Amino acid sequence: LFFPYPQMASATDSRYGQKESSDQNFDYMFKILIIGNSSVGKTSFLFRYADDSFTPAFVSTVGIDFKVKTIYRNDKRIKLQIWDTAGQERYRTITTAYYRGAMGFILMYDITNEESFNAVQDWSTQIKTYSWDNAQVLLVGNKCDMEDERVVSSERGRQLADHLGFEFFEASAKDNINVKQTFERLVDVICEKMSESLDTADPAVTGAKQGPQLTDQQAPPHQDCAC
Amino acid sequence: MAQEVNLDSLKELEREAILQVLYRDQAVQSIEEERIRKLQTQLQHLRWKGAKSAGREYTGKSCARCQSVLGLLLHRGAVCQGCSHRVCSKCRVFLRGTHVWKCTVCFEDRNVKIKTGQWFFEERAKKFPNEGKHETVGAKLLQSYQKPSKISVVPPTPPPFSKSQCGSSPGRLQELGQFKGFNKSVENLFLSVATHIKKLSKSQNDMTSEKHLLATGPRQHAGRTERRSQSDTAVNVTTRKVPTLDVLKPLNQQDSKSATLPVLKQGNHAANLMPRRSFSGGSRHGSLISINSTCTEMGNFDNANVTGEIEFAIGYCFKTHSLEICIKACKNLAYGEEKKKKEFFCKTYVKTYLLPDRSSQGKRKTVVQRNTVDPHFQETLKYQVDPAQLVTRWLQVSVWHLGTLTRRVFLGEVIIPLATWDFEDSATQSFHWYPLRAKAEKHEDGVPQNNGELAVRAKLVLPAGPRNSQQAPEGTDEPPPNGQLCLVVLGAKNLPVRSDGTLNSFVKGCLTLPDQQRLRLKSPVVKKQACPQWKHSFVFSGVTASQLRQASLELSVWDHAVFGVNDRLLGAARLGPKGDALGAADSCAQSKLHWQKVLSSPNLWTDMTLTLH
Ligand SMILES: Nc1nc2c(ncn2[C@@H]2O[C@H](COP(=O)(O)OP(=O)(O)O)[C@@H](O)[C@H]2O)c(=O)[nH]1
Ligand SMILES: [Mg+2]
Ligand SMILES: [Zn+2]
Ligand SMILES: [Zn+2]
Repeated sequence: LFFPYPQMASATDSRYGQKESSDQNFDYMFKILIIGNSSVGKTSFLFRYADDSFTPAFVSTVGIDFKVKTIYRNDKRIKLQIWDTAGQERYRTITTAYYRGAMGFILMYDITNEESFNAVQDWSTQIKTYSWDNAQVLLVGNKCDMEDERVVSSERGRQLADHLGFEFFEASAKDNINVKQTFERLVDVICEKMSESLDTADPAVTGAKQGPQLTDQQAPPHQDCAC
Repeated sequence: MAQEVNLDSLKELEREAILQVLYRDQAVQSIEEERIRKLQTQLQHLRWKGAKSAGREYTGKSCARCQSVLGLLLHRGAVCQGCSHRVCSKCRVFLRGTHVWKCTVCFEDRNVKIKTGQWFFEERAKKFPNEGKHETVGAKLLQSYQKPSKISVVPPTPPPFSKSQCGSSPGRLQELGQFKGFNKSVENLFLSVATHIKKLSKSQNDMTSEKHLLATGPRQHAGRTERRSQSDTAVNVTTRKVPTLDVLKPLNQQDSKSATLPVLKQGNHAANLMPRRSFSGGSRHGSLISINSTCTEMGNFDNANVTGEIEFAIGYCFKTHSLEICIKACKNLAYGEEKKKKEFFCKTYVKTYLLPDRSSQGKRKTVVQRNTVDPHFQETLKYQVDPAQLVTRWLQVSVWHLGTLTRRVFLGEVIIPLATWDFEDSATQSFHWYPLRAKAEKHEDGVPQNNGELAVRAKLVLPAGPRNSQQAPEGTDEPPPNGQLCLVVLGAKNLPVRSDGTLNSFVKGCLTLPDQQRLRLKSPVVKKQACPQWKHSFVFSGVTASQLRQASLELSVWDHAVFGVNDRLLGAARLGPKGDALGAADSCAQSKLHWQKVLSSPNLWTDMTLTLH
């Protein structure tokens, strides 16, 4: 028999949390995918954000790649796994396979390249097909530092974004314009979706709207099991 | 949604680059899974801690979280809308900026959903209900790619022949859509692996050559293989094959030795991603299971709407290696009889297993308590378990209603991972109330749902003559029925071992031909091994390819009982045109694929790892 030990109620939980390795030192992880035609600046955008670097040389991305960055947002440490994809058609099968794991997307075009802008609609269809229903998408018109060569006006970008139900930014990986803002906004909208998802599916919130029970005395008249 | 993951069109270097990325991803993923596992354990501990403690009479008038006494008029507490437990005002947490509150446990539950990303998986499941939780395409691809990468670190002792572990991945082909394309891409991955291996060891040529075979068709490269296969047919396979199998050893030593490359560590991780049998009922058991009633958990049972809690304490004596589960009581149980919701009809008992062992030897039961939904048991169920074994087990405590005609109704269960259980901490030894849970639709994280893996290699030996006769249309010059199905049962791992961590195991093979004729063979017993290596050959003679195309091969692993009568079935797998009816859909597809491969490449060995169910 070995149950006659004295009780030590709080001894258990202090063991957890302490041993957290630095690797795991974040509150949660979001996965984000950057998509868009080849050479619009997806890789540059990611490098600017993750490493604060930029190179004018164009090295075409092979298939897929990712970087990890941990940010501090809304009192939380959020680890971002940001997937960079190759735009070319021949990689399409592998890249679309990753859509399912992504909570949010950055859909990018190049403001100096009409074709990349015309492809936005198709990319958005890809998201609809391969991703979950609440996928959050930000439309980004990149290379806004090249005002002289602009062929897609801000207005057209904004209109298309409205039409597709996405938020819209113009940005420049080269001059570091709106890069951080884009990612942070995407994180925020994913967070909003998350709360929505948790709290609408949750009887605690819907039930309590009828009359929150604030004190002991205000116990609800009916205590039927809510489950 | 069918989606073909197809790396066909990519150049070798590109594939290499992508695979590098996939490996990096897997490293990230495994850290993430470890973190999630911790979070879930934490939540569980909070649940347990909060649950009613030992010795305290449950009256319903104390806070479900801190047990402070609640009054009749003042301090009555309020019912948490999340869990419908009554809690005091201190044990409520208000959601940021609202008047909405949850009890501490429900709040933590929400937190864990956020932190683990569970919310996302749940949302995503609305659109892709079959999607596994954490796997990515990369994980799946890598999984198929694991085994060859392991072979690449085999010290270059030239094996007479070594085939790639082609069929070795029990990956979730189904989820990847058309698996023709997938399979093709996997083979391309192998191709790129093969180049790696070439660099490491020239002696591994055969693998590359087989890869070419696969890529270009069986005829052009037949030379080398033919020589070998002729000797195979001529000579007793049993004795010839055995010494050559050492090349596979590292596969079974992966935990200790081969973890030298960072990549290889992931191998174990990938093994965790293997398809799990879902729990939900008895719909899938095949003939092997039904002839043996030991796997009672797989039998038919009904499900009640799970409610209530169970109170028990767990203790382990390090001196005597004795694990004791003291079952005290249950309360608020669901009624086992849907139509007769009267306490008069209640017949309740509690059953335990130390998962993954679901055999009858590992089952403990209390006596049946009648006429109440709050039964008291006061019974201690005991196991003899080595400490090293203990940490690999999950304690499953389930509550059952004994219906009429021995129809059983599942009333709920609690699963406790003993790996994280602190047996030296006195707090964990006291009585706790645990909320009963329904059987998870998908598997609980970490709880093994299969009964291990069996590594075999198989070959269809056809007599010399029209070599591709099996590709000829049905009926046209079928060779005389003197073909052989050769099978080498290599070894098994992750079997549900005995409580001392060993097994005296053997394998039974049963080939059922289309005319229902059965050919049975049995391997010798390998004693006192958790991961037995039989390296035993089964040769089924006098069969034709067309017979085999409609035949099925059942392989079952048994634990030999001392007196021979009560051999314990550890797990079984089936190969054949209809796939593995014992397992989930994915292992079914896998098994079909293996079978096709064996039949379509006569005189060539196909290696495979079968998931045992
Ligand atoms: N001027 C300018 N050039 C950019 C910008 N972003 C990327 N580029 C250049 O555009 C080319 C393609 O960029 P890359 O990031 O590889 O595009 P990706 O194919 O979408 O990944 C490279 O030569 C980059 O240097 C930008 O914001 N401004
Ligand atoms: Mg790129
Ligand atoms: Zn309380
Ligand atoms: Zn609650």
